[in-house]
Amino acid sequence: MTTADRQTLSMHHSEVQVSVELQTPDMTLNLGPQHPSTHGVLRLVAQVDGEVIKELEPVVGYMHRGYEKLAEVRTYPQITALVNRIDWVSGFANEIPFMVATERLMGIEVPERAQYIRLILTEMARISNHLVFLSSLPLELGAATPLMHALRERERVLDLIEGATGGRFHPNFNRIGGVKPAAGAGSTQKKVVQDLPQGFLEQTKSAMEYVRDVCADMVNLVLGNEIFMQRTKGVGIIPADKALAFGVSGPNLRASGVPFDLRKTDDYLPYSNFDFDVVTGSNGDCFDRYAVRLEEVVQASRIVDQAVEEIPAGDLQAKVPRIIKVPKGEIYVRAENPKGEMGYYIVSEGGRGPYRLKIRTASFSNLSVLSWLLKGQLVPDLIAILGSLDFVLGDVDR
Amino acid sequence: MSPSELASRIAGAVGSDRFSSDNGTAKVHIAADRWVDAHRTLSAEMPYFSWLSAIDWATEVVVGDAPESEDIEPRYEVLSCLGNVENGESVVLSTAISKDDPSLDSLADVYGGADWHEREAAEMFGIDFVGHPNLTGIYLPDSFEGHPLRKSFALLSREVKPWPGTVDVEPMPDEEGPSTENPEDAG
Amino acid sequence: MSGILDNFWSLLALKILFITGVMMTVSLVIIFAELKISAHMQSRVGPYFAGGRYGWAQPLADGLKFIQKEDLVPADADRPVFKFAPMVVLAGTLAVFVIVPFSPDLVVRNLDLGVFYALAAGSIGTVGVLMAGWSSANKYSLMGGLRAAAQLIAYELPLVLAVVGVVIQAGTMSMVGIVEAQAAPVFHLGDTAISLPYIFQGQFVGFIIFMIAALAELNRTPFDMPIAESELVMGYLTEYSGIRFTMFFLGEYAGIFAMSAIASTLFLGGYYFPGLDSGTFGPLVLMGKVGLLVFLIIWVRWTLPRLREDQLQSFAWKWLIPLALVNIAVTATFKVVF
Repeated sequence: MTTADRQTLSMHHSEVQVSVELQTPDMTLNLGPQHPSTHGVLRLVAQVDGEVIKELEPVVGYMHRGYEKLAEVRTYPQITALVNRIDWVSGFANEIPFMVATERLMGIEVPERAQYIRLILTEMARISNHLVFLSSLPLELGAATPLMHALRERERVLDLIEGATGGRFHPNFNRIGGVKPAAGAGSTQKKVVQDLPQGFLEQTKSAMEYVRDVCADMVNLVLGNEIFMQRTKGVGIIPADKALAFGVSGPNLRASGVPFDLRKTDDYLPYSNFDFDVVTGSNGDCFDRYAVRLEEVVQASRIVDQAVEEIPAGDLQAKVPRIIKVPKGEIYVRAENPKGEMGYYIVSEGGRGPYRLKIRTASFSNLSVLSWLLKGQLVPDLIAILGSLDFVLGDVDR
Repeated sequence: MSPSELASRIAGAVGSDRFSSDNGTAKVHIAADRWVDAHRTLSAEMPYFSWLSAIDWATEVVVGDAPESEDIEPRYEVLSCLGNVENGESVVLSTAISKDDPSLDSLADVYGGADWHEREAAEMFGIDFVGHPNLTGIYLPDSFEGHPLRKSFALLSREVKPWPGTVDVEPMPDEEGPSTENPEDAG
Repeated sequence: MSGILDNFWSLLALKILFITGVMMTVSLVIIFAELKISAHMQSRVGPYFAGGRYGWAQPLADGLKFIQKEDLVPADADRPVFKFAPMVVLAGTLAVFVIVPFSPDLVVRNLDLGVFYALAAGSIGTVGVLMAGWSSANKYSLMGGLRAAAQLIAYELPLVLAVVGVVIQAGTMSMVGIVEAQAAPVFHLGDTAISLPYIFQGQFVGFIIFMIAALAELNRTPFDMPIAESELVMGYLTEYSGIRFTMFFLGEYAGIFAMSAIASTLFLGGYYFPGLDSGTFGPLVLMGKVGLLVFLIIWVRWTLPRLREDQLQSFAWKWLIPLALVNIAVTATFKVVF
């Protein structure tokens, strides 16, 4: 740990003067960048009076990798490999809006089977992301057991994703025009169109059963727990209008009572073929954010079940030219990523790479509400609130 | 409503006559001095602030492919994206500011979320947002010099090794071909 | 042999060795139990390598690891206080072992004020915790130490008040006396005399209060705010490493044993089991009951999240203390009336 700030630890030097009013200066508490609770390298500089936070300033940028500048010197297929590292917990979902944006600019129609596969893998990424969240918030509050149960089921989902795509976190499975159609590497092997692995669909169905079981466990173990409720109910309330003004999206926004889900409003993937509910909370406190994500896992598993039933046969990738050159134009496509709204604004000037790629990430906006939200909260509540916002620093810093 | 209807309606609401809806994205251009007023007018109907950023339009680029358009007017185009959560509409508002003295009024009073986005745009492009409460850098270290997302900012790695163009093209399933390609042949 | 037992000083030395030995062994066993039980509750295996398939040598390995670590004292730390703090905590816990009755004869010293002494000695640890937090010259440690002190003071009262009910019912403060009082028959079923431990004789509420307060005294989840790992790294323990940390660590687990032993003596009947001879089977019976309570403590730790500091305080002052006072009143009434 860092040694104390000399300027404020005045008690140490026996300068206490007993007077009518006891002067207790505010303490500057510096959380991070290395800290067990912040989800990555986030630094929080807080002015603390006893246990109450007077002011808080988040310092981000420790993981800034310069994605937008980098995208200007990469071709579109190369950018595919880069973007799933933005929000590494839900790797597959980061690629989708970029793919859809590029395909729309080029006017390519993605085959239905490829769209269904994308959808299944996106929902699996959502389940994987939410299971991490569902286990880490109780862990920060002191309950270590939900972590083990949730991550055990997550392994099933990750194994499935790995079986289909070859990677657990960074699948790099999307191609412009569909998903990866060929297996085998090297120029000497004849490229064979390989579909999903054998048994993938059956195993997916059984994995979803397990996922629903663990969600039921979580309801009993965590949601019904008196102490958890005391720690999270009424803590960190984000009112709906503030959430909208700050750009908070995804489960955080829905927990504040706004039933806004991009899967229902935008058609970047064929979600309209499936029956699922938009999960909304009522208060916008930490408890609601947890409950919303818990229910979203169940809904995602429903979608996967339906998609696995109805997946059509067909091609995995549309015919695209060998060298991808996107015609001149601008487009903004957004998707409902597990953490919120993720969008790509592509400005194309006809080159092999974008002229400008603006990446709109969910966690950046979700985190910007922090300095407003944490004024007047207690230090232990800080941990609960940070844990409930579900951000990851790669998403914040890009 | 469709993007084109949305674009024309928003344009009418803010008093602009330049709008487009190419590729399904409703985009409305606003004059720089009406930027904050336009947002204030729209804030009731579009309370969701998605993002704010900028584009550096330049004819000469240090890295990457040169732009195809021949008549690019050098400017910074500041974009902001607003949304409506009832019906899922979203519109991109844009304005142009000059490169010599890039400054624009800040949206921090209208939308709280503009705070961080403007800090990022200021840091990356060198745009001054007048009236912003705390326009310090957000991503880069304090000792960093320059504004990275400007087209005139050279990526250090590209100084050492020039832009290689297209390499490692993956052939289509029914084609066989070399896995690497000479950049000149890529056309 | 009897010469040794007659000489006061050699007997004293023997007793001290005995306590230390018991404490070390018991701590190691409980540490191992916690590792294994928590693992199986989380569908893991737990220690696997140290000492063969069951990993029983894991605590030993950990102990050896700690002992060979560098002795770090932070530059700004208050050196004498820093070094003395773990000893204070450990001494407080050790002192409780003196009155734990393993059998009617096997008790280090059967004080007439046994219970009083146990509670008094057990609260020496509070001072040690404050010393540790203060002297570490670290903001996090300071906050942890203050939280710990506040928590420990707040939960002393329910602890003591819960015990008062037992004392009223037994009529004595001596630990052995309390067990004998529980051994006394309550009613007769035909020929057999049925005797019930106090938990069934009306001290159920007292038992619950005692266990909750004991968890708080031990800084165990759900009351482990002072060492909340994810918030303040290790709270007042942050700057401690090596042997000093081991002292705190062992002291915590010894405290678990001590509190469980006191609870089983006061509420569960101690070394007495109907039908078994206390002299020979006493230690086994006591260990069994202690094991049950230790399992309960471990179980609670891995199930519940931790309470926030102010919730913890309000729980103690607004709920536990009034409840304990009501318990005393009811017990006293019953004792007088019946």
